Amino acid sequence: MIVETKKILIDSKLEFASGEALESFELMTDFYGELNEKKDNAVLVCHAFSGSHHAAGKRDSNIGWWDEFIGPDKTIDTNRFFVISVNNLGSCFGSSGPLSKDKNGERFNNNFPQLEVIDWVESQKMLADKLGIKKWHLVIGGSLGGMQSLQWAVSYPKMVKKVGILASAAKTSSQNIALNEVEREVIRKDSDFHGGKYLEFNKSPVKGLKAARMLGHITYLSAKNMDQRFGRKLQNTNSKIAEDIDFEIENYLQYKGGKFAESFDANSYILLTKVMDKFDIAHGYDNSLEVALENIDAEVLVVSFTSDWMFPSSNGKEICLASIKANKKCSYIELEGEHGHDSFLYPNEDYQNAIKNFIESK
Amino acid sequence: MKSDFKRIIEKWIPQNTKVLDLGCGDGDLLEHLKNSKNVNGFGIEIDISKANECLRRNIPVMQCDIDEGIREFNDLDFDVTIMANSIQCLKNPNIALQNILNISSKCIVTLPNFAHWSCRLDLFLGKMPVTKNLPVPWYETKNIHLCTIKDFEELCKELDLFVIEKLYLNNSFKESPLTKLLPNLFAAEGVYLIERK
Repeated sequence: MIVETKKILIDSKLEFASGEALESFELMTDFYGELNEKKDNAVLVCHAFSGSHHAAGKRDSNIGWWDEFIGPDKTIDTNRFFVISVNNLGSCFGSSGPLSKDKNGERFNNNFPQLEVIDWVESQKMLADKLGIKKWHLVIGGSLGGMQSLQWAVSYPKMVKKVGILASAAKTSSQNIALNEVEREVIRKDSDFHGGKYLEFNKSPVKGLKAARMLGHITYLSAKNMDQRFGRKLQNTNSKIAEDIDFEIENYLQYKGGKFAESFDANSYILLTKVMDKFDIAHGYDNSLEVALENIDAEVLVVSFTSDWMFPSSNGKEICLASIKANKKCSYIELEGEHGHDSFLYPNEDYQNAIKNFIESK
Repeated sequence: MKSDFKRIIEKWIPQNTKVLDLGCGDGDLLEHLKNSKNVNGFGIEIDISKANECLRRNIPVMQCDIDEGIREFNDLDFDVTIMANSIQCLKNPNIALQNILNISSKCIVTLPNFAHWSCRLDLFLGKMPVTKNLPVPWYETKNIHLCTIKDFEELCKELDLFVIEKLYLNNSFKESPLTKLLPNLFAAEGVYLIERK
């Protein structure tokens, strides 16, 4: 499989839904496979909140977040499809975001324009134009990436042949927003946060970021899965991260949270959770999901997991029912998923068959 | 699904209509109707591997059980709903039938006749019937509300439903002089096209 990672400069103005704009911007992008001559085999894979462009393959001991799904003969067969995975604007893995510099050479820090999901779609539309891709065979993603996929299908119906919406929702719930706000609050209240200007002080609010991620991580798992995996097991004394840890689950969250805080940017965390909070596809369409979905031309596949309590399966079903009402071709698959919300990331035969059959059907 | 059976159902489905198939299995019937009648078909199927087969055939499908599907679809609008061999699996077939006719103007129901002579014979011998169209033993069957042709037609009357057309079929999915003469004894399968009066 041909794999390429490129930082692509889009040298045109991008106006955001908020009215703010960037004169130019960069998108860190992974490419897997080859674009065919007709340029009709392109698949856009949209990452979730804290994901990156690195969707497949192993790099510096890190394995891509959807490695089992993308590759030769895999769910998205790179012998047939040309997969593009873009690090979203505002994130911190190479695309323009709080860590990059504005036109005056100043780091954005907490002043990066507040984006919305639709702005990501606009940025990727400009990328598609640059690459000469007129229509995606498929736009697919889980969680926040699923919202982005849905937005693509609504915003550019002529450019999307099929759309896959996994463990996602047409809008964030009050509970989603509430949890995100707690996560933001612990970051903001870290004494090293400095109102978002921490880099100017050579600091990073790692304590807050770690605690935020620990809470976030719980929302990605299911109670059953946590019980099966950790139960009430006590942490082995030799491998305790901190003295006062008793249970394995504590140690696990401490470890995961700590690792995350080393590699993620706090301003991005705040910005991206806000993107999620703001998302409501029906906004601007009389607050009617059905009206919003009337725009869609694509065939739609919605997959939900009953163990997901962040975006419960009722959210997925709602999209499917509204699509059918709007006379769209939409399918809905509901799986248990062993991993709660994160189930969309894990290989499972029924799940992968659903996606593969959907992509390859004529 | 047997091709004779498909042909019967096909006759009752007008061109270019919106069709809901409750318990659509692998999407075989909807695919057939898409090709022959250009229907805009939609299926409901609980079994994931069958639902995945629908996806492979590019037949839109919602993976859920029929009871739930009918409930969720309460404000949708179809021309014809098909319930092939599944009414006996529903929790409340009588309520389901009324709800189906709220979401579609016509409904095709096919059901195994529990009063077929082979069932009667099994019962006479003191056994739960295991027949050609009821092949699953009692402890594994999903059929919780089996009925006879007579029962079903009485239910339609009670619910004030109009039977537009009906066919009594033998085990080879054919009408015969015997099934016409004494359907409740000789028909293995009843096939109905119904609507509200």
